[in-house]
Amino acid sequence: MRSALFLLAAALSAQDANWTTYHGNYSSTHHSALTQITPANAKNLELKWTFQAQSLEKFEATPLVVDGVMYLTEAPNTVVALDAATGREFWIYEHKNPEVTYPCCGKINRGLAIRENTLYMGTLDGKLIAIDAITGQLRWEKVVVDFKDGYALTHAPLIIKDKVLMGTAGGELGIRGFLAAFDAKTGKEIWKFKTIPEPGEPGHETWHNDAWKHGGGPIWLTGSYDPALNLTYWGVGNAGPDWNAKVRPGDNLYTSSVIALDADTGKLKWHFQFTPHDEWDWDSVQTPVLVDRVWRGRPRKLLLWANRNGYFYLIDRATGEFLQGTPFVKLDWATGLDDKGRPVRVPGKVPTPQGTVIYPGVQGGTNWFAPSYSPKTDLFYLNVWDDYSGTYFAWDQEYERGKWFAGGGIKADVQSVRRDRLARRDPKSGYGAVRALNPSTGAKVWEYKMTDVSEGGIVTTAANVLFSGNREGNFFALDATNGNLLWNMYLGGQTAASPMTYLVNGKQRVTIAVGHTLYTFGLRE
Amino acid sequence: MTIRFLLPLAYAAALAAQHSDTALKNPFQSPDDRARGGAFYRSQCASCHGIDGKGGASGPNLSTGNFRHASNDEGVFRVITKGVAGTAMPGFSMNGREIWQIVSFIRGLSASRAVNVTGDATAGRQLFTANGCINCHWLNGAGAARGLDLSAIATRLTPAEMHTALTDPSAEVAPEYWTWRATSKDGKTLRGQRFNEDTFSLQILDSAGLLRSVIKADLREQSLDHRSPMPSFRDKLNEQQLKNLVAYLATLQGAAK
Ligand code: HEC
Ligand code: HEC
Repeated sequence: MRSALFLLAAALSAQDANWTTYHGNYSSTHHSALTQITPANAKNLELKWTFQAQSLEKFEATPLVVDGVMYLTEAPNTVVALDAATGREFWIYEHKNPEVTYPCCGKINRGLAIRENTLYMGTLDGKLIAIDAITGQLRWEKVVVDFKDGYALTHAPLIIKDKVLMGTAGGELGIRGFLAAFDAKTGKEIWKFKTIPEPGEPGHETWHNDAWKHGGGPIWLTGSYDPALNLTYWGVGNAGPDWNAKVRPGDNLYTSSVIALDADTGKLKWHFQFTPHDEWDWDSVQTPVLVDRVWRGRPRKLLLWANRNGYFYLIDRATGEFLQGTPFVKLDWATGLDDKGRPVRVPGKVPTPQGTVIYPGVQGGTNWFAPSYSPKTDLFYLNVWDDYSGTYFAWDQEYERGKWFAGGGIKADVQSVRRDRLARRDPKSGYGAVRALNPSTGAKVWEYKMTDVSEGGIVTTAANVLFSGNREGNFFALDATNGNLLWNMYLGGQTAASPMTYLVNGKQRVTIAVGHTLYTFGLRE
Repeated sequence: MTIRFLLPLAYAAALAAQHSDTALKNPFQSPDDRARGGAFYRSQCASCHGIDGKGGASGPNLSTGNFRHASNDEGVFRVITKGVAGTAMPGFSMNGREIWQIVSFIRGLSASRAVNVTGDATAGRQLFTANGCINCHWLNGAGAARGLDLSAIATRLTPAEMHTALTDPSAEVAPEYWTWRATSKDGKTLRGQRFNEDTFSLQILDSAGLLRSVIKADLREQSLDHRSPMPSFRDKLNEQQLKNLVAYLATLQGAAK
């Protein structure tokens, strides 16, 4: 007779048991084939172990798990290897940053990449470093960029074949963004795609004056990869200065766009700009979700994208053709999208010296935290900030190296990042919800409404369980078919990370960073 | 002395200060320093803390004179150079002089707003006692324990704003002073102050003065009354009396820092 473990091994590949990239897979669906935790038994979830970070910085990382070992970053740039079954540490690697670095909004890091036995991490002081996954020793480090110019590397790198892909943050500090690929063995740069085209390069005509020189276009969230097309997809952040957009007339390519690059050469295959001439700081730094699916009677290679600007987009990811865009939250800056997907803007809905109220607020309808697509339900899931506005201000600002270069500011009842420990703002100033959308139409299928907004990502499983956490401190499981609450645990700190799930010793686990602690849950035995 | 030396000097002095009770004093407090600090503030801080310093979507209000992370100027200096861990507040790499100038500017935000005060503060003080203000408010270590503290009200409100606070208290009320009302599924009515809330529950101070958690699933309905619990003094006091009361409030500058 075959053992239960053997059966399991037969049904699931190692890839299903592990979580080997930041997004869990190249399609970034944040969907897992694991099925032990079900809507019926989720009420039996219990805490298995915790990892207490010593860092007091915001915990935005999602760990990796490879064959029983979990790899994690503790903000800003400490790497920890621990036993995924028990939480006990194997080794700790501490990268020392200088006293002053230049992350816009907290000394954070979102995670690692792994290839064979090497881990990769970007650092706040502009380095890409390679660490031996067995010993925790440094293999090499490579200065990617001069951090004193306002750069910081915060997203988890992406491995494609023998390359490590890394982009850079700094959209509030007058940088010029890029995505670069490095040789995984040596750290040598193989290619570099500049998100702000220089004079003579295509796209530069969307810039005037010398505005391109500090045009922004950061990349601070890991992209996706389609091996069949050999294209890699990345979201590009806001133009700089963020809010005083009159100094940078034009569409400002490739800010607030998705770029599709040839993974071997870094050549641009196509781009789609969600928010031409972005005046609101609506980085298109969301997760590119790749889904193969029939759309209007035809099988399509789709890119699903819920953007910070409040629209949910369907794009043909082979060609970049815009297929459809529908608002998924309250918005008042555009009346719709034209047949090319370009927003039809409402005059006057721009930042001003005296302030303009605009929906959505600066954090947008959603942001960098992961959405999910489940092939089981054929639904797209995301955390939305709805009925939420900001007052957008603009003012003049001179560029100075390594200094804040935002040209304005935001006031809002809803804090961009949880600050007050007590939550008692006017509930009418906005709410959060986990929402399920029909990818064909963008229509809402169900929602799980929360009192506060959330910076938590989502993972779904083949058993139709959805996990997410929120700013309130709740971590919960929903039935992915209807949004019913299956289980909730109050963990007392904000979630600003995406959960993941894995198998260790044949048992399914689900892990989430909350406050300054990483929690791992499993079924009571 | 060049300003490059200032930062190490400042730290040396700060170290020395740990061994005595004297905190480091801000050496750059002239009107000119304050103006320069204001310029730095507008370019490097206002995006998050608001152009008026009263807070924004990411940074807190810096104009109250009270800081969560600092108890004196030296502390404010340290926050600006080091940032606040776990928050969006970055550490700034400006030189020591520039940072002291920003500290001066921030301090100026909580300086007295009591200009053009015309009433009689002594008469106002009597009105304050006679009208039961202290039954609801906290003042210099006495009064209603849960009451809004008026000890430094002159650094927060202008005389005109004080006048409005007295005659039209409901014009602008912070959410923590709203009155929460609810009916439970078993028909009880509940009332209190909402201290905290999440998807499942509310933490309230109920009308009996007790702290309690209320489970939302047990409620039939709930509402928030945005009106102030403070009565309007528009019809109780004449214009001169209001002016006198404002003149008294304008003397409440808080403890010297
Ligand atoms: C990216 C947004 C951002 C910028 C830019 C920023 N701050 Fe902050 N600041 C914050 C946040 C967030 C906090 C922490 C609030 C908390 O306690 O959680 C903070 C806290 C502070 C505090 C401590 C407040 C207290 O109550 O203890 C001071 C002082 C301060 N900032 C001054 C400045 C100055 C001066 C600048 C410009 C040189 C600046 N900040 C720029 C976001 C910002
Ligand atoms: C029944 C209780 C009550 C009484 C009596 C009362 N207050 Fe108030 N007062 C409050 C509350 C609660 C608030 C906060 C809510 C608001 O802004 O109205 C407040 C707000 C204020 C404010 C505005 C404070 C700020 O920071 O915006 C001032 C000034 C003030 N009171 C002065 C007075 C004076 C002077 C008197 C006596 C003449 C008085 N109050 C009597 C309850 C009271």
